[in-house]
Amino acid sequence: MLPKRNIAGSRYALVSGWLFMSTLIPPPSEAVVSEPFFEHRDPDLSVLQDRIPPQYQLTRRAVVLVALLGLLFTISSYQPLWHSDLWGHLSYGRWIWAAKAVPRVEPLMPLAQGVPFVDTAWLSQLIGFQLVTHTGVAGAQFMYAGLISLAFALVVGVVYKRTGSLVASLAAFLTFGWGAYQQLLVVRPQLAGLACFALVIVVATASVGRRWHWWVIPVTFALWANLHGSFLMGLGLLGLMAIGRLFDVIWRTGRVAASLRDSEFRRLALLTQIAAAAVLLNPYGIGIYGEVFAVASNPNLEDLFEWLPLSLRMSQGQAAAAITIGLFLLYRMSPRRVQCGEVLSLIGFGLATLWTSRLINFWAPLAAYYVGMHLAAIRWQNFGRPVEERRSSGLNTVVACGLTWIYFAFTPFGVTLLHGQPKDAKIAARRYQKAVSPLTPLGTTAHLNELAPVGQVFNTYEWGDYLTWAGPKEMREGKQVFVNSHAHLVPREVWQDYLLISSASGGWEQKLDQYSINTVVVDLAQRGSLIKALKLKKDAWELSYEDGVGAVFRRIKPL
Amino acid sequence: MPAHRPSLAMILLVQFVSFGAFAVAWAVSRPEAKALVEKELWQSDPYPHVVVPREKPLVIEPLYDRPDLMSDEDLAAVLKQVQPRFPRQSLKPNHVEHALRTWGVGATFQDPAVLSGQELTEFLTDHGKFINSWGKRIAPLLQDLPTGVSIRFDRTEGGSIHHDHWLASLTEAGVTLKTPVYSPGRKNATIHTVLDQALRDFRLDERETEWTALAFGLWIAPQKQWVGGDGRQYSFDLLSKRLRRGQKELGVCSGTHRVYSLMALIRLDKEFDVLSDAEYKNAWGYLESVRDRITDSQFPDGHWPSNWPEGKSAVEKPVVDEFKSIVIATGHHLEWLSIAPKELHPPEETIQRAMQWMIKTTKDQPQQTILDNYTFFSHIGKAAAMWRQTSPEAFWEAWEKEHPFVPSETPGVAPAITPAGSSEIH
Repeated sequence: MLPKRNIAGSRYALVSGWLFMSTLIPPPSEAVVSEPFFEHRDPDLSVLQDRIPPQYQLTRRAVVLVALLGLLFTISSYQPLWHSDLWGHLSYGRWIWAAKAVPRVEPLMPLAQGVPFVDTAWLSQLIGFQLVTHTGVAGAQFMYAGLISLAFALVVGVVYKRTGSLVASLAAFLTFGWGAYQQLLVVRPQLAGLACFALVIVVATASVGRRWHWWVIPVTFALWANLHGSFLMGLGLLGLMAIGRLFDVIWRTGRVAASLRDSEFRRLALLTQIAAAAVLLNPYGIGIYGEVFAVASNPNLEDLFEWLPLSLRMSQGQAAAAITIGLFLLYRMSPRRVQCGEVLSLIGFGLATLWTSRLINFWAPLAAYYVGMHLAAIRWQNFGRPVEERRSSGLNTVVACGLTWIYFAFTPFGVTLLHGQPKDAKIAARRYQKAVSPLTPLGTTAHLNELAPVGQVFNTYEWGDYLTWAGPKEMREGKQVFVNSHAHLVPREVWQDYLLISSASGGWEQKLDQYSINTVVVDLAQRGSLIKALKLKKDAWELSYEDGVGAVFRRIKPL
Repeated sequence: MPAHRPSLAMILLVQFVSFGAFAVAWAVSRPEAKALVEKELWQSDPYPHVVVPREKPLVIEPLYDRPDLMSDEDLAAVLKQVQPRFPRQSLKPNHVEHALRTWGVGATFQDPAVLSGQELTEFLTDHGKFINSWGKRIAPLLQDLPTGVSIRFDRTEGGSIHHDHWLASLTEAGVTLKTPVYSPGRKNATIHTVLDQALRDFRLDERETEWTALAFGLWIAPQKQWVGGDGRQYSFDLLSKRLRRGQKELGVCSGTHRVYSLMALIRLDKEFDVLSDAEYKNAWGYLESVRDRITDSQFPDGHWPSNWPEGKSAVEKPVVDEFKSIVIATGHHLEWLSIAPKELHPPEETIQRAMQWMIKTTKDQPQQTILDNYTFFSHIGKAAAMWRQTSPEAFWEAWEKEHPFVPSETPGVAPAITPAGSSEIH
């Protein structure tokens, strides 16, 4: 806080160009003075008084973090939209908007007709659809970058708030990014779950309960249960932290009764209960609990790379191993008391990645938080507390706000909001092409729109979503696509046939006959063998379209 | 903001709210949501059993009595050929099922070498009888499951070959819902138990659905849709779509069985409205295209080839068919045509030619050939009776009253084991 100064004798008020900053205006009685009014004096900046409330004032280190997070936001905004899941979710959002109801059975894959569908991401899908409808793909990019930045901001921010250490916060930032990098490439509702999880980390790891926890947690979980099925991760974290606290108190006091009376244990246990109840506020009610377990154990997912258990052969497995070793070293050196809850949660979520690597998404921010906290503790022990931690100022807050605005204005979404969507179709198409991943079947879809297929289409799993979103009318209406990224909704037998055909294994052609497939839409990146096999069957299939991304084949004598 | 220590009142309030929320959520949840929770969290069996509204299955009556196409003498000659004159040892379930669906559970024969309907039924429904025929060296036909009894359908010895063929055959044969089924471990099972298990186990995209569609239709109509053991909502619409899916020639017996099952669904729909209007139209359209293809693909002597879906080119560029293939195609097509309305018939002369070929071919075959290809010829026997708007059982009973069995007329004793090269798969 700047010292207050006596401003009597000031001839004029200096109006700062910065928002929130002003001089004190002299009282009217003192305004009339004998000095010439026009006498010029250099402005005395020391008379400026910081009007920004102390709790909103930032340190320079915080500004550095804001700059870093802003950079993350901007870079993420330019990340090409992944060609798979996003478009499927938007398609489901479109369906929900049109039907004015959530789906009860799968609506977009004809071969999954009648399969029960608990759409745990319905709200994400609806929001995404509305955003993209009104702001184009820039809306999806904003959603993607915003959710990632929010998750990072919460984890890094809480480390900084609790330690005041820039180094520790940066370490948390890097750990989070390294651990979850691969999972963050794909735009999907899981990112909303990640942001919610980051918020739960903030609450669950707080050493002291706050009143706002009591409303933030139920609101977060009620929202989370409608945004994505990963709410179970949040419940798991709260529950593990509660159990950990119980053990901590028993360990310390040797009395179970004391642990049950412990305010922290009570807080965490009650928050877990409230969160579990808040989850019920969704259109599927209690069924959502069954659904998350059903999805996790669905055998189709075992065939997908991203659902495989984490291993050292994966780059994210190597990252997790390195982070784990780093954590061991930090724990060895850290003077900070290790709580049972943190061990339980790190081990629990770590083991969960051995079930499916996707869960590294939730282990990484947790590991990042503890990397930051222990690193700060080690630094305190060796170098003392950061000296600058109390030197906050409103000016830094204003700089942070300015940076945030600049970052925002430079993103595609900011440009769209400020200047509107391009009116020139060519410019719009160019922007669209730049906004989506190079593996997106743009040419293939355009070809299908020109020459719409008839009847059931065979398409590769990764493209089912985009074809449903942007393909011909019948595809958009859910009457033609073979599979999409909602693999858990595909009947097992159909899924096995899909794998057989897409890998051009023995009997693939007969399978195409069995499903009355007249059109095959296939990507080059992973299904080159099928393209090759189809090209060899010249008497039955003709190449209708081909580019560097994929190909379309049509049956010469349609069934 | 100060730390907040939850008071006892607050703890009680949270208990009340959270447990209350779960209680209310459970009370207001849809049945499928409850089933999902029961299945995934409590590992229980939430399968909603389908109510079977009848004790005896529906019968799809033949529509025509055409003595001009099939005289009594011809019918008797054809039926005599397809009598279940099987050896008692190592009875093949697939043959027994075909014999039973052709002759019915009440069939009796004066010739003691021929298995009666009751004997055929008992072989299929009583594990003891199955052991009498096969011994204990092979896996049981009836398989005990925690949830019921299923039928072993595979291509190994003593298997039923086709999924739900056992059930559909007994159903077409007129078995009642309460007919006992004695599996290796159960003495209180009935046909209902097996039907319930079939409804639970059914998966739309399994290898074949022809007999499932038929059996379910004859038992559970007018119920249009039901939930399977996998939680999926099944319906006769879905079954009809599944039957229509794929190249026409694909499917069991050159794709002719699904034509029969589709026709059966259309007949059921006439009475019970089990199909949606759109699906009815699609199924009808499919059968119209079958009609057109068989009109074009018939050979001058009256038979249809296995590649009948190719229409004219099947005649112009004939494939080399095995004898059994043309028996299959011709017999099966005549069978479904006997329950089809006239709009779905090919021209009259096409049917006449096919019928003449069928009668002559069947009468001309030695008994051993018939036995080697029994499953295919049994359809001919059934078709022949249906074109006289009767059943083999009823006709033969009446016939034997006027033409009693004379032992010397016995066509010959069947070998104990079907010779190599004969076809089991149907």
